[in-house]
Amino acid sequence: MTLLDPTPATLADRLAGPPVGRSWADMDEFETFLDDGGIVEAHDDMPEAYRTEVFRFIELHANSELMGGLTERDWIPRAPGLRLKQIFLAKTQDEIGHAHLLYMVAADMGMKDREQMLADLFAGRTRFHNVFHYQAVTWADQIAIAYLVDAAAFASQRAVFQNCSYGPYKRVLKRIIAEEGFHMRHGEEMLLRIAEGTRIQHEMFQAALERWWMPAVQLFGPDSSPDDPLLAWHIKSERNEVLRHAYVQKYVPLLQGYGFDIPDSGLRHDPVDGWLISEIDWSELRATMRNGGPDSRRRIATAAGSYADTAWVRDALAAAS
Amino acid sequence: MRTFEVFLKKAGKDEFRHVGAIDAADAELGVTLAREAYVRRGEGDDLWLVDRTHIVVGPPAFVRGNHDKPHRHNDGAAIAERRRQQRETA
Ligand SMILES: [Fe+2]
Ligand SMILES: [Fe+2]
Repeated sequence: MTLLDPTPATLADRLAGPPVGRSWADMDEFETFLDDGGIVEAHDDMPEAYRTEVFRFIELHANSELMGGLTERDWIPRAPGLRLKQIFLAKTQDEIGHAHLLYMVAADMGMKDREQMLADLFAGRTRFHNVFHYQAVTWADQIAIAYLVDAAAFASQRAVFQNCSYGPYKRVLKRIIAEEGFHMRHGEEMLLRIAEGTRIQHEMFQAALERWWMPAVQLFGPDSSPDDPLLAWHIKSERNEVLRHAYVQKYVPLLQGYGFDIPDSGLRHDPVDGWLISEIDWSELRATMRNGGPDSRRRIATAAGSYADTAWVRDALAAAS
Repeated sequence: MRTFEVFLKKAGKDEFRHVGAIDAADAELGVTLAREAYVRRGEGDDLWLVDRTHIVVGPPAFVRGNHDKPHRHNDGAAIAERRRQQRETA
């Protein structure tokens, strides 16, 4: 007996099969739906261009969380004191956890499974955020990352969360943003300690700031193009240059307040526009995002190596069940 | 490998809420990994995992078929209007 047409399917079949949810006649109808605050779900018959762009964006985010987590991990043994060691253990787990949630969401879009995404990352075929292509030289670099990079990531993720049209992504972003908030607070506490420390500690952070200020500012990317599909489709809720400007307004006075110099000789304060930084040469970011940054090769090789080294754990767990 | 949907509930209030999914070889590993991925800061006290192949999804068009039933609602406007009139004449 068949009561329903189509008959109810399982969630697994539904996500694996052809889209059975809502569909839209054309891109105009779809964009109107998004402009009205519509939320797209994994089983919806979304336009292919939207599926591809959103998938790529989430994959980039997932890769970045994983690469960021591995950077944090490198510093666990060298963290000064037990409390900071615990904090960095927890932070590493958070970042790897963020990667995990995002890879689940990305895989459900039906374009690549997690194994393929990881294989592409380790082969250098896909991308991750610019800030994870640089080397952390001293503990002060870790503080700069925790304070400046996490704050930049937080600001851009929050802008995605605000108005995000892809439901599964929006839901995991809520958790990710909450946890980034803890990272930022840890970062500022560490900054406060080192700022109030010895002259050598102060110099250490100043040197780290000189390495990390530009990458952090560049994280927001060049000015958004007027036809950026991610803006039109309500994945990004704010233009890159607006986020970058807001970040500069907040962090220039904060860092100066702690007695540090912003490494930008062209930095100036305008009575109307506030803090203005020098013109950015975006060729560095473009090269970095093609995995041609100063530490890209080593980073990717380390990530691939650690995945290969832990294969036995995954194999043993799979075999034990 | 099985894919589980993860649900969390705080003690004493609210309902279970879906929080995401987790891949694991079996139920025991699923619970272990779900705790590490979703319950690091007291997000819930009760944890449910449901294998994705066991969740039945209602066809959306069928579910929506019940939305357009105004006679099942009452916004109380008629009564509010009547009471207002009574107050004004009193
Ligand atoms: Fe993160
Ligand atoms: Fe973080």
